[in-house]
Order: sequence, then structure tokens, then C-alpha cells
Amino acid sequence: MKTDRRQMIRSLAGAGLILPGLLSEMMAGERKDPLAPRQPHFPARAKRVIFLFMTGGVSHIDTFDPKPYLDQHHDQAYNKNNYFKGASWKYRRYGESGIEVSDLFPHIGSVIDEICMIRSMKNINGDHFGATIGIHTGSATFNRPSFGSWVSYGLGTENRNLPSFMVISPGLPYGGGQNWGADFLPVLHQGTRIIPGSEPIANMHRRTRSARLQQTELDMLEFFNRQHLEGRETDSSLSARIRSFETAAGMQLAAPEAFDLSGETDQTHRLYGLEPGDTSSFAWQCLVARRLAERDVRFIELVDGDSSVDKNWDAHANLTKYDRLARNVDQPIAALIKDLKARGMLEDTLVVFTTEFGRGPYVQSPGTNGRGHWSRVYSSWLAGAGIKGGMVYGSSDERGDDVAENVVGVHDFQATILHQLGLDHERLTYRHAGRDYRLTDVDGRVVKDILA
Amino acid sequence: MKNLLPVVFALLLPCQLLAGEAEDHFESRIRPLLKKACFECHQAIRKGGLRLDSRQDMLTGGKSGPVIVPGDPDKSLLFQAVARTHPRLKMPPGEPLQDRQLEDLARWIKSGAPWPESRAEFFQKQIFPVLKKECFSCHDTASRKGGLRADSRQALVAGGKSGPAIVPGDPEKSLLMQAIRYQHAKIKMPPKKQLPQTTIDQFAQWIGNGADWVERPQDSADFVITDEQRQFWSFQPLAHPEPPRVRGLRSANPVDRFIVARLKEQGLVQGRRADPRTLIRRATYDLVGLPPSPGEVNDFLAQWSRDPDAAMAGLVDRLLESRHYGERWGRHWLDLARYADTAGDASDFPIPEAYKYRNYVIDSFNKDKPYDQFIREQLAGDLLPSDNDDQRWEQTIGTGFIAISRRIGVSPQNLGHITIEDTIDNIGKTFLGLTISCARCHDHKFDPIPTSDYYALYGILDSSIYPHVGAEHRPWRSDFVYRIGQEESDKLLKPYREELQVWNDKERAKLEEYRDFQRKKITDPTRTREKAWQEVLAMREERRPHAEAFPDLEIAYAIQEGAPHDASIQLGGSTDRKAQGATVRRGFLQILGGEKLADDAAGSGRRELAGWIANRQNPLTARVMVNRIWHYHFGRGLVTTTSDFGVRGTPPTHPLLLDYLAASFMEKGWSIKQMHRLVMLSQAYQLSGEDNPENSELDPTNQFLWRANRQRLDAEQIRDSILAFSGQLDLTPGGRHPFDHRLTYFYRQHEPFVGNYPTRRRSIYMMQQRIKKNDQLDLFDGSDGNIPLAERKSTTTTLQALFLMNSEFSHQQAAGIAGRMTDLSVDQATRVRWAYELIFARPPTEQEIDRAVAYLEEVGRLQGQDVDWEEQAWAGYLRGMISSNEFLFVD
Repeated sequence: MKTDRRQMIRSLAGAGLILPGLLSEMMAGERKDPLAPRQPHFPARAKRVIFLFMTGGVSHIDTFDPKPYLDQHHDQAYNKNNYFKGASWKYRRYGESGIEVSDLFPHIGSVIDEICMIRSMKNINGDHFGATIGIHTGSATFNRPSFGSWVSYGLGTENRNLPSFMVISPGLPYGGGQNWGADFLPVLHQGTRIIPGSEPIANMHRRTRSARLQQTELDMLEFFNRQHLEGRETDSSLSARIRSFETAAGMQLAAPEAFDLSGETDQTHRLYGLEPGDTSSFAWQCLVARRLAERDVRFIELVDGDSSVDKNWDAHANLTKYDRLARNVDQPIAALIKDLKARGMLEDTLVVFTTEFGRGPYVQSPGTNGRGHWSRVYSSWLAGAGIKGGMVYGSSDERGDDVAENVVGVHDFQATILHQLGLDHERLTYRHAGRDYRLTDVDGRVVKDILA
Repeated sequence: MKNLLPVVFALLLPCQLLAGEAEDHFESRIRPLLKKACFECHQAIRKGGLRLDSRQDMLTGGKSGPVIVPGDPDKSLLFQAVARTHPRLKMPPGEPLQDRQLEDLARWIKSGAPWPESRAEFFQKQIFPVLKKECFSCHDTASRKGGLRADSRQALVAGGKSGPAIVPGDPEKSLLMQAIRYQHAKIKMPPKKQLPQTTIDQFAQWIGNGADWVERPQDSADFVITDEQRQFWSFQPLAHPEPPRVRGLRSANPVDRFIVARLKEQGLVQGRRADPRTLIRRATYDLVGLPPSPGEVNDFLAQWSRDPDAAMAGLVDRLLESRHYGERWGRHWLDLARYADTAGDASDFPIPEAYKYRNYVIDSFNKDKPYDQFIREQLAGDLLPSDNDDQRWEQTIGTGFIAISRRIGVSPQNLGHITIEDTIDNIGKTFLGLTISCARCHDHKFDPIPTSDYYALYGILDSSIYPHVGAEHRPWRSDFVYRIGQEESDKLLKPYREELQVWNDKERAKLEEYRDFQRKKITDPTRTREKAWQEVLAMREERRPHAEAFPDLEIAYAIQEGAPHDASIQLGGSTDRKAQGATVRRGFLQILGGEKLADDAAGSGRRELAGWIANRQNPLTARVMVNRIWHYHFGRGLVTTTSDFGVRGTPPTHPLLLDYLAASFMEKGWSIKQMHRLVMLSQAYQLSGEDNPENSELDPTNQFLWRANRQRLDAEQIRDSILAFSGQLDLTPGGRHPFDHRLTYFYRQHEPFVGNYPTRRRSIYMMQQRIKKNDQLDLFDGSDGNIPLAERKSTTTTLQALFLMNSEFSHQQAAGIAGRMTDLSVDQATRVRWAYELIFARPPTEQEIDRAVAYLEEVGRLQGQDVDWEEQAWAGYLRGMISSNEFLFVD
């Protein structure tokens, strides 16, 4: 890709199509380009990340962290104001590893041997807003650059025809766009929000009547820019902007193609549980994520819901909706893992499943059909790209109330994911307001025990 | 009776300890006792100014003087306090010590209070200071030379490229010992001068004993500003330099004398003056943020042909008089004030009154309000004298600068310390160019700002009342400022408030019924959660008319005085009461004079704070502001880190010029418009952007200003210009946004406020939300209502190109310009000339007209069968113009 471009520049120069002053700048521009691929700090296991974010706080007790103690003491008083609440779904063992997963996620159960289940997550904040931006940006209060923005800044991208960091988010999660904002990093590292439908990337479709006509217009633009460049050849910002129209033209072709599922087989559709033509389900998001991963998008985030309680895992009083929510994501997520594996891409694609926090083991009166926020302990998982599969890391105590061993805080979680990308979380810094900022603030430990 | 006993012990049991016994006695009895009973308050927290974790600290004592008199327990305050014989001090609070413990303590003091050094203390006294002084500068997190960090035991054991630096217990195997002994073949540390032998021996002893690493708990009283810190450039008084004499310089402008002198020093040659078309475009975008109209360009050219200097002076004057000047320069200030129309909490409550502060800023720039007055009003406008009620009210609105601070989470009213942190951060960066908020949790790591300075400021803001605009867990507004005054408004609103309270209670009751589903099992099968929610919504609708019936009094989102009090240091930034340290008198930064509020000061201290900042003797205030003005004019400040004049910022490229400008700024009554004149009428400002290969070689980034910096239009300039070209721009000033009635907000994080109020007014008048940005402005690096933004970035992205190529905005506007164009004339050359004058502020060349005609013919060939093909073709042509570098950049 890179050599092609250089060869192209040389050949254009040879044919006298590029002004001499521009040549060195264009060659140099390859290095100055902030999105150009950058070497990681050390050899990476993951080339890209697919970050599955479940909005609202998924109950660990009802999904990935069986608590027989709670089941046995269901509806019994814990103290004056609290009663134990057991899981509302049964657990069963899956795979060779025999890891238990609840009946909400039979498909994820079926790929459990690829997964490292972390049952000792801890977030820095107990409210949706703080915890959601916490896991995305490392800060639960003031704005900071998003995880994906840091990765884009650290590694750049190999495909200039698509943004380096894309977020498929039909609705807005808690904290809205702050979750994928670049904040003080240059805005080109900001997550591009994909809204399922006819125009997933804003303005990606040609609006002029024909491609030929658009080309005529772009030639006109090229003329304006060439006239202007005369006497200004050494200004790299001018040529960078000229180039941006070339890449935009590329993106205009590449993006629709990336979102066009018509070439996907029936078998693939069935694997994901996707009806042809449907773009509204999480299955669509997962299949598109695989296609974006194939096209070397660096950081792909999928958000399953928004901030309204009907559409997310916030279940103070309506745990029953978990059946519906789980059905929306279970099969597609398992399909994504199987599909990546079948294509040999699970080797270098890190799949992350997380949420802002878990849900509590106690209720205020017996029979309550819900649970409160619980950031003290919850579950998340990782798969692929050098992560040990079929493994459980860390544990909660017998009541699922707090971490029993091997705590994984959000900064540890982030440090570990960066590590798989070949980035040392302490060295991935950006100077802002007199300080070198990091995703992991002043914290974070790489959880080495889960690395294969 | 019990109270008398210890005294008896002290008098009757003097039995002095023998030499060897004393150490044992201290380690086994006294140290554990102090640790258990005293350190919680008298270590880093230093209650009463007292630390008890070293003999020296005990001898120095606290507010009540030394606490031990070695050899004399009865005269020792410590003993009096624990024995409860002191009239006032009774320690520890709560349970008194046991008799046996008192006896131990008495015996220890009697024996001269020996304090054998523990390993931790040995490390703290002998080792840590050496590591900090000699090693950290190259071996810390930021710069780990040789891959080595020396700032923790773990890091030393892990080592760097040459392997572990220490082997605990084995000095001879430790690389660090070989390095400091200069015995290693390659590594000799510290590189410049070997450490004294005693220090080297102490390191060997430390490593031999296992290299324990326990840092002394830090407190602010340990913080001493060093001479080196005091001598840092930005803390020095202004130099008041004379402009240097430069031979052969035509310009009389002092700015040029500084600039050219510096160019000569560097062996650089100043470029030519730009042509008048470039200059009018540059100056107009710079001062009013809009393109010059073709008429304005022609007038200017005519004046230029008579007298270029007079033409330029006239142009600057005209632009400074324009109402749009405040809309441009006010925008710069709003970036710094991180202005927004919403609070930023989890549900992002709207602040319908925020616009008054926005307009206040615009008006202040238009009026050329003296900058010192502008500072005073924004920090303490409510406390300043005024000539009339309009002025009083205007000044009150100015405190919106503080009020607009970020709110966080679902209950921001309970996170006042976070909001105040945001205020302090902004005051520090914006007015002083200092990152003060670093000192909330620890002394500033780089600049001389101890935690106590942070809390000296904190007390001032904590003694002030911030308005509460509502948030999920308390949707009711409170503490807004009424123009008619608190008493009057309370009286007037009382019946309305009482009535609304009834409805508020009903609403909360309904909400509680809904929330019952979270708390218990609802057995009634007809009662569903959805139904309960519908009832909540219905109740809110029922309540609405009672809210909307409120009289429309004039309200400001502003600050008021609260109960004045000093604040305590919160250790590690924790909000825990237990982590409370010494109380700090409200005051200013020590490095900038460290004034404290007078003992009899009555108010919060905001007024005094404003005075300390807006003070001619403050070395930072004027420097920071003139540098900002320079930054906006040239695209880069003399200090490039415009909001960081601290150690981590960059030093000025032209220190003398900076001081000259700062001094001149104050002499001219802190007039910002005078600064514009001084700067814009210099040759330096009027240079052409032309490259010069020899200069480029020496100064590739043009930091010495031998040519003009080409700047990309910012987000607002792009939008406003395009609307102006299409004739769509509404140039009237904006007011309040069409938010719902202020008393009807029940936003939750689940249903946050999301507003979209399309407008054709200038971008500064668009509603700016905190948790959701405006997509179009954001795409072109627009403002961010969340963080103080001192320097806009100027990125080039593919998505920007896609926006210009394919967005509805760019297509509609281009069609709008095309409509104006085709109405004008049927002659193609005339049309092209009009477009060039309008968008590029210059006439086209013949070649350019020919190219346009060729383009039109080609489109005709492709689209000729369409009825409206020609209008479409022109729209495409104009889209090219508004996507082109000639439009998007200012030379």
C-alpha cells in the first residue's frame, strides 16, 4: 500500500505531473501524516480491537458469574434493609473448559473456549455517566480522549479509505459523544459514529448526479487548488488538504462497499442470525464489524443500546427484559468470534466484551424484579489476539458483592488491551496543559496471567 | 483522681533509661504508641500545624509551640496534653491513654527523648533526597534514560537496558553501586560529579539492609519554593525594555524594532509586505471573522493607492468599530471560558440564562472594556461599585464566568468540589497561564504551587454560591440571581413557589410510586411499571401550567456571596473528612505574592482575588493576555503554550517584545483594541506569506516571523462565510435559545436534554451543548464547551472533505450562491468575476475564466438534457470554490 503510493508519486513526478517543490513534501508527508501507521512500542499480538459495549450495566450475577450462595439464600434477609437475590437464569457448563454461563448466553457459551472470562472487574464510579466515560476514557469526571482515539493516535491506520476509529452506535449511550471524543488529541483520532441505515458514515454518498459529473467537479477543484498552490508549494498543509479530497474520493467508494452485505452468503447471514436487508439489529453491527476488521479499521466499537432504560441493561425493576436484550446480542457475538476464527482473523483481532458495571446481589424487599448498580465487582471478557481462551480470571466473593481475588480495574483492563496492541500504557502519552496524559491516568497494570 | 496519677508518675519515677535501653524503649513502646494515637492527625495532615513523626518536628512544634522539652516531661506540651493536665489541649481526643503508656512516654522524655532512626527514616533523610536531586530528572516516568526509572524500589529492581539497578541485600551486585562508585566500565552516575564518599556508603548501607522504600508522607508545610523556581522567567517582573535600535528600519512601530532585531540576530531576512487584497482579507477575517465584501475590497484598494499606511490604519479602525468584532473576539474568550448553554451533568440540563454571559462577553469586547475591569467583573462583578443599575446588572452577569463551570454526574449539587476544581483550573489557565488544579491532590509536580495554595483559592470559591440549574436527582433550580434582588424576588415569588411546591411534591410522590418497582415486589397485577411511569409523565403535564405561570423576572446565571470560611486541605484530593488537613487562610498563590485575606475581611474574598489577578504588579496577567492576542493574530503565540506559562510550557521566542507589549498594554489602560492597532499596524503583521528558501533553512517553522503564517479558517469562519456568500447569513445578534420553560425540566441520564435549534445567525449564537457537540463545527475543530480551549487545532481530515463534497449544507449553500450568481447576469465571464470577487476577494485571470467556461461546456455535454443543468453546474463550480484552499486558508 505504502510502496504503491510512493511509486505512484514518483511516477507522477517522472511524468512532470507534480511540481518539483511538492514532491519532497509529499514524500515527507507520509511521515508527517498523523494517521500514518506507526510502529508499536513492542511486537503486537492484536492489530485491531472490536469493542463490544453493553450499555446500562449488565448484571454479572445473571450472566457470567454464578453465585450458588445467592441462589440458596434467595429472598432471605441479609440485613435490616436487604435481601439476597439469586440469579434469574440457570447456569450450565460449556466447552472443554467447562466455564459456566447462564442461559441468557447459550451462543457465547458455545465459544467459551476462545474466551477469557474476567469475574473481578471494578469500575471507578457507580453511576452510568461516570462509569461509562470511565471505561471509555479512564476518567469518570472531566473529559479525556477516548480509548479508540488513543489507539488511533498510538498506531495510526493502514487503511486511509476508512476512519481509523469507528463506533457503530444506533443510539447515544450515557455520556453521549464524549465516549468517542478525541478531546485534546487531534480530532482526526475521534471516533466516527456509524448510524445504521442508508448513510452509515455522514456524507459518504455522492450527492452529485453521476460519478462522471462529480469527477468533473473535482477536476475543477483540483484546478482551483493548483492555481492557488503556485508560489505556495512548500506549505504542507495545503497539499495535505488537496490529498484529503483524494482520500475522500477513496472513502466514498470504500465505505459503501464496506457496508454492503449483498456479497455475504446466506450461510453467513444465518450464522449471525441476520435477516437479509435488516440493518437495525446487533447482528448487522457484528457482521459489519467483521467487514471493517477485514479492512483494517483499527478500533471498532459496537454499542448495543442507548441511555433509555427500555433499550439497555439498566434493570432496577425490569430484569425480565434481559431475555430480549441477550437475544439481540448473543448469537451475533458468538457468530463474530466463529467467523473471525474461520477466517484466521481471531489471531490478531482482540474482541472485548464489557459494560459499565454489574448489578447488586441484594434487593430491598423479596421478589423485587431488578437490581441496583454495582461497580464494586462485575464481569467482562476478552477473546482472540493472544488472550488465553477457556479461562476464568479473578473472582468475586461468594455473594458477588466485591472482588475476592485478582482485581481488574478499568485502568488495568485498558492497560492490558493496549499491551496486546503492542502499546505500553505508560509510554502512550500526549502532552497537554503541561502534563503528559495517559489513558490509564497514573494507574493500570497489565494482567499478564491471561496472556497466552 | 485518675488525672492526678500521671503527674505523680512523672515526678516520682524519673528512672532514666540506660544507653542501650533507650533505643529499645523507643522502638518497642514509643514509636508504636505515636503511630497509633497521634499520626492520624499529626503526620501529613498536620493538625494545628503539628507533625509528630520526627524528633525535629516535635521540637519545632505547631501553633502552640514546641511539644517536647527533652528531659522534662512536665514542661512538655505533649505530656501535658496526653496526661490531660493542660487547661485546653486534651489528647488524643476520646479515650485517654492508659497509665502505663503515660509512664512510658514520661520516661522517654525524661531520658532526653532519643529518636533512633528507623530504616524508613534513614531512607527519607539520607537516600531519597539524593535520588530526587541527582537521578529523577533523567530517570522518571517522563524521561527514562536507558530504560531506567529510579522513582520506586520496584523500578530500580526491574532496572533498565543494562539490567536491574539494585539487588536488595547485596550492594556489591548492584549496578547502581558500581555506577555511583564510578567502577562500572561505561556507566558513571551522576555523570557530572561523583557523590561524596559518605553518601556512597549510605547507599551501600541502604541496599545492604534491603533497600526499604517508604517515602515521608508529604504535606504542604514541607513545600518550599526554591530560588530556582522563583527565578523562572514568567515570575519575574516585567522588564520594561526600550525597543532596540535597528539600522535602516523604515517602520516606526516598536513591534518591528523587536522583531527585526531578532531576525538580524538569527541571520534571517524579513519578507515583503503583502499585497492589499491579501491584507484586507487577512485583517477582516482576523477582526470580525467574516469575508470582506467586494465593495469593501475596492474601497480599500482605492485608499491603498493613495497611502497604504493610512489605508491600513483606516481599515483596522473600521473593523474595530464593527459590531461583528465582538462576535469574533468574544468567541476566542468563550473558548477559554468553555462556554456552553448546558450544565454538563449526566442529563445536561439547559441553562436558558447562559446566553446573557455570552452576550456580555461580546459587548465587553465591542466596548473595549479595560481588561483589568473585565477580569474583576468576571470574578467579582456582583461586589464592584457601579454608577447605575444597568452597570451593576451587567457586572453581575459577568460572574457567569464562574457560574458556567462544569457540573458532573447525576447529583452535581453534591460534587461542589469538582465544580470548584473546574473553576480554579480555568482561573489559573485563562488569567494566569498556570495549571493550578494539579495542586488539588498533591503539590504541583513542576510549578511552585503547593496544595495549600489550591485550598487558599478553594476557600474563596467555597464561600460563594453557585447557581444550581437542576440535575437528575434535584431537578429544581436554585440560587439564581434576580435583578430586583433576593428579598424583593422572594416576596414576589413566594405565592408562586408555594403553589409550585405542592405540584413538585405531587410529582415526587408519583415518581416514588414508580420507583417502588425497584424496591419491592408489586403484587397488584393491574399495576405495571409502564403505567406508573405514564402517571409520572401525566403529573408533570398537570404541573406544567403552574410552572409556566411564574412571572418572568430578569434572572442571571451568576454568583453570589455565601458564608465566608476558610477551607481545609483535603489530602490526596479525597473528600473524606478524615483526610482533612490544616485549614488554610483564603489567599493567593505564594509564588505571586501570597497575599492573604485580612483578618477583618468580610466577604468571600472574590473581590480581593480579582484584585490580585488584575494587578499591574502581577507578572503573569498582562503577559498572558497580550500573548493570547498575539496568538490569535499570528496563529502562534510568542509563548506557544498560551495557557501554560509554567515550567512545562515553552519559553517566549521574543521575551523582550512580550514584556514590551505587556507593559504597553497596561499603560494604555489595558485596552485590547489598542493592542490590535499596535500589532496590526506593524510590518510584521503585514508580511506576505511568501517562502524564502534561505530563511526556511534556518527557521523552518517561522518562529522568528520573517513571513506571515498561513492559517486555515476556523469552524465558525467557514460556516459564517459560506452563509454570507449565499446571502443567507442573518447578521442580527442572537438572544435566548428556544428552550422549554425553565421550570419544567425533568431530564434524566436516560432521557438527557438534546436540543437542536437551527439558526442562520452567526455560529457564536448557535446553541452549544456539553454532552453533545455540534457536528459541523466539531468537524472543523470547533470549540469545546467542556475544557478551556486556548488554541484551536487545525486538522485536515477525510471527513471534512466528504462534508464539503457531499453534505446537504454544502450543496444547499452552493445552490444558494449559484442562484445569486445566475440572477446577476447571463454573461458567463461576469458571473465568474463576481464569484471570484465574492469568495476569493480577487478578480479571476483570463485563464481562470476560460477554465470555468470549459468546465461549463463539459457539464453541458454530460447533463445537457436536464432542464436545470446550468444552475446545477454553477452550484458544482461554487462548491469547488468553497472547498478550495484559496477560500479555506488566509494568507
